[in-house]
Amino acid sequence: MTPRQRRVTLVVGILAGVSIAGALALSAFRENVMFFFDPSQVAAGEAPIDKRFRLGGMVRPGSVDRQAGSLELQFVVTDFQQDVPVRYSGVVPDLFRENQGVVAHGRLGTDGIFVADEILAKHDENYMPPEVARAIKDKHGGVMPANPDLRSVPET
Amino acid sequence: MGWAWFHRFGSPPHLYRLAGTLTPWFAWPAAILIVGALYLGLFVAPPDYQQGDGFRIIYVHAPSAWLAVMIYAVMAIAAGVGLIWRMKVAHAVAVSCAGVGAWFTAVSLVTGMLWGKPMWGTYWVWDPRLTAQLVLLFLFLGYMGLRSGIEDLGRADRASAVLALVGVINLPIIRYSVEWWNSIHQAPSVMKMDQPSMPMEMLAPLLMMLLGFSLYFGAVLLVRVRAEILRRERSAAWIREVLS
Amino acid sequence: MSEGLHTQEVSRDTRLLPKCAAIVVRDLQLLVRRPGQMLQILGFFVVVTVLFPLGYSPELGKLRLIAPGVLWVGALLASLLALEGLFRDDAEDGTLEQWLLCGQPLAALLLAKTAVHWLLTGLPLTVLAPLLAVTLGVSIEAAPGILLALGLGTLALSLIGSIAAGLTLGLRRGGVLLSLLSLPLAVPVLIFGARATELVIQGDSPTAALYLLASLVVLAITLAPLAAAAAVRIGLE
Repeated sequence: MTPRQRRVTLVVGILAGVSIAGALALSAFRENVMFFFDPSQVAAGEAPIDKRFRLGGMVRPGSVDRQAGSLELQFVVTDFQQDVPVRYSGVVPDLFRENQGVVAHGRLGTDGIFVADEILAKHDENYMPPEVARAIKDKHGGVMPANPDLRSVPET
Repeated sequence: MGWAWFHRFGSPPHLYRLAGTLTPWFAWPAAILIVGALYLGLFVAPPDYQQGDGFRIIYVHAPSAWLAVMIYAVMAIAAGVGLIWRMKVAHAVAVSCAGVGAWFTAVSLVTGMLWGKPMWGTYWVWDPRLTAQLVLLFLFLGYMGLRSGIEDLGRADRASAVLALVGVINLPIIRYSVEWWNSIHQAPSVMKMDQPSMPMEMLAPLLMMLLGFSLYFGAVLLVRVRAEILRRERSAAWIREVLS
Repeated sequence: MSEGLHTQEVSRDTRLLPKCAAIVVRDLQLLVRRPGQMLQILGFFVVVTVLFPLGYSPELGKLRLIAPGVLWVGALLASLLALEGLFRDDAEDGTLEQWLLCGQPLAALLLAKTAVHWLLTGLPLTVLAPLLAVTLGVSIEAAPGILLALGLGTLALSLIGSIAAGLTLGLRRGGVLLSLLSLPLAVPVLIFGARATELVIQGDSPTAALYLLASLVVLAITLAPLAAAAAVRIGLE
């Protein structure tokens, strides 16, 4: 091979390799990586029964029911369209609050109750002065929306 | 347009003088911007509705984190130029970046930990940004470690340049994989796919600080490049002229 | 990575594929005569894994939870240990310099060399992993998934490590540096690999994580030999 042919081979090889790698990564995205469902999908019967997945949404206000003297806990996860009742036994994270985002790992029983073995809470990332927060909450009926209309800044 | 400017840029005496002239043009605006942003950020901007005054650490944390990544990019570009065009001063620039970059990364990690205490209730959380930043610190340390392990200057320059380039290809993959890993083990941001948001009165000091930090980095880089050129060219005739 | 530089003045009577085959055959023969290094690395992997039940808990239920991490960290450290010797002998006896001058693309030769290295270290580690997993409370049914994940993962680790091995060629503190350089680059492999293994152990489908791992392997096969070749050139100057 002449040096020129060799360079062409090299470039073609790199392009081919990078494209194959990209195609493989794209196939990964087509899979449901997270096994993540929201309450509407669960209500529509898309979530598997008796297989571990994640359920994400907001904790419906007033739905948290703690059994006194035990770690048993029941609450409702909602996406403001559908609700899914969740049962959990254990310590919940500090940021677990009503009206805050929550992700529960576990299995959906045939009775429609999601039995969680792990609860994760997510702190929201909107920075704003307290009075603005109050105003936004008032406008949305006391709930902090997922995407308040503020200027966005790039990620750190 | 010819390439003359490019070649002149590659001449050590020229770059040495140019860097000396430019340094104050970076240093003074940096000082003014940083002091101004500190005042606006600490005294003028309102406290956050959830985190109170604790959020103000963002004014140091976020710009250092951005800077750390930016410095790695500058280092890799300089290293690439040095490797491809065999330009000695480009290597001097790359070397000068490493130490500053490692410091900015360390600052972003420490401030991130200090922020974590009020926000998460613990100094360390395997948050994707902190984790990616930690890996970045290892990349910087690896670069400096490799340089210090090689005695011959020319070999150290070129070997560390290859490492910097490999690292720059890897950096996006590392960041993505850490995000992915975190979204599995922490709450995925499904409720919050968008970027964090901020009103103008909080954002302005942040952007000022970012610009101030960037100029500061520019000033430090120029001073370090001058020192590095002096060290490398210590036996050259022009040095004696400059210093006498 | 100026591939064409050395090609003109040297006769090109050796062809690329036979040359690579010769490297493969020679390294395999070397192994048969001196199996010590490979056995040491496998021994290291076993010892690291066995330390966890002793240091953490003998309860299989608990061990099963940390099994992916244990297997991956063990395999990662073992393969790093193996990488130290990847180019050492060839650099000492002048083989690498011969390769520089032989007129074949150095990157291709290094790819062959690294592939054999994986056959002799990564593959045995992979085969051993499901057995060690059993001692961590993992069902033997997870074996195919673990084999696939670790097979791909160790291949990517060998390729990434070949860059670091090239960069640290002949340095005095080479071993420590090699780890410092490789570990940050190995983070994605560790993450995707451990995730795939975790999913397999839980009985879920690891397809997505395996795709990502395969993507890393292809990317590493494409780019790592070029970087390693550049590193070896610089090291030999």
